[in-house]
Amino acid sequence: MKRLLAVTLGILTAIGGFVDIGDIVSTSESGSRFGVAHTWVLVVGIIGICVYAEMSGRVTAISTRPVFDLIRERLGPRIGLVNLLGSYLITLLTLAAEIGGVALALQLLSGASYLLWVPAAAIVLWLALWRVKFETLERVFGLSGLALVVLLVSIFWLHPDFADLKGQATTFSPPKGENWPTYFFMAIALFASAMTPYEVFFFSSGGVEERWTPRDLTISRINVFLGFPLGGLLAFGFLATSAIVFEPIGVDVSTLGQAVLPAGMAFGRIGLGLAILGVFAATFGAAMETGLSAGYTVAQYFGWSWGKFLRPRQAARFHVVVLVSILLAVAALLTTIDPIQLTEYMLIFSAVVLPLTYLPILVVANDRGYLGDKVNGPFANIMGVIYLIIVVAAAVAAVPVMIFTGMGG
Amino acid sequence: MPLLIAFDLLDRQILDRDGIPVGKVDDVELSPDSRYVAALLTGQRALGARFGGVLGRWITGTAARLDTDRTGPRRIEYALVAKVDSAVHLSVRRELLTPPALEAWLDEHVIGRIPGASDAG
Repeated sequence: MKRLLAVTLGILTAIGGFVDIGDIVSTSESGSRFGVAHTWVLVVGIIGICVYAEMSGRVTAISTRPVFDLIRERLGPRIGLVNLLGSYLITLLTLAAEIGGVALALQLLSGASYLLWVPAAAIVLWLALWRVKFETLERVFGLSGLALVVLLVSIFWLHPDFADLKGQATTFSPPKGENWPTYFFMAIALFASAMTPYEVFFFSSGGVEERWTPRDLTISRINVFLGFPLGGLLAFGFLATSAIVFEPIGVDVSTLGQAVLPAGMAFGRIGLGLAILGVFAATFGAAMETGLSAGYTVAQYFGWSWGKFLRPRQAARFHVVVLVSILLAVAALLTTIDPIQLTEYMLIFSAVVLPLTYLPILVVANDRGYLGDKVNGPFANIMGVIYLIIVVAAAVAAVPVMIFTGMGG
Repeated sequence: MPLLIAFDLLDRQILDRDGIPVGKVDDVELSPDSRYVAALLTGQRALGARFGGVLGRWITGTAARLDTDRTGPRRIEYALVAKVDSAVHLSVRRELLTPPALEAWLDEHVIGRIPGASDAG
């Protein structure tokens, strides 16, 4: 059992990356407009995050240092600072969106406006980060997020035409009535959501929280190769069910309520309940992941003490960063900015900073000073370089495509 | 083996003997004859000085205003360094070093006042 629970870090990290609030809606939107034509992007994204999360996990297990810590050592304090500002900003925006997402899930259940739920969600989030053990958080939210499996099962219950779905998945072009720029815009957003920078920072900091040593290299790899594909599969659940239900009738998904609807169509009230529970757990888990990551990156850049394995008084600056980040996120949400649109912008901007995240990891993973004989083999390096090229291409294309399509219009 | 200051020391994490972070090696102080490292300098004041320019002056200035008791950056005698690998390990516990001003202030005025601040996570 303990071995089984050891993979919850990977599951939680992946859920926070693949099925956080923005991804749920943008993945479902892609399904409703393009069918399952973007399945290949998910596959490319899953492999990419596995390649880099494996490197980060290995670096952490062998050197017992989180990767963000080493980035400043290898790139110097100036580029490190640019990297810190970029990833902190994205993490903060995502944190705001996730708190909004938790509130939206509660709105679906209660009918009361999400704005009323925002302060409550933020307080519970802060209490969890203040009081609850890291392992407990990771298990509760990693495992209850798996309720989203209901969408995967729904695929079969909705009796789609599998030949048609297969046709869509193997056609690498937009369907009739849609254009190429929007197709690419969606593809970049989905790819960026798979590779969001806070995933690798959270994953490797989580490894330090769990006190990984070189003996935990296998645990780290199991987390990567089980957790991340699982997260990607849950995202596919949203893509496919929206493609089955909404694409044929020409409805564009733009709200959370629409995204979970297919589960209700397949399994009635129980299905809908499970899907909402899953969304709640996934967004709350993502809120924790981003809240902690905000503190991790700042503390690790400056060398401050950090982490939940210390008493809060031993890491006062870290806890202040977490607290202030949550307050900033709440303040942003209370301006009544749409949390879902917020993540869509966030995804495109995160595509822009992705190279800054992944290049240093590739450099560090080749450093014998940290890793001894556990440096990247030729396979890891070939994959690493291929993905770096993809990431740079996505970064260059992101903003022009965003402007050209008017946010995927 | 000689240590390369820029490559092996600068920007590396300093840990106390229990593995708790103490700070980054933001700068080093050389001995008068510049033949060996006399002390590690840590904290935003040392970091700002290395940055230079407007940004550097701003970082140093802010850090100095937070820490009026000290005249220069936080110093850690190089004699306290036990080992250098992926981090710089000290031979003492961090309670024996002067705490960073910001950490001490936040602990006293913010974090320490919240219930549960002294409980292990």
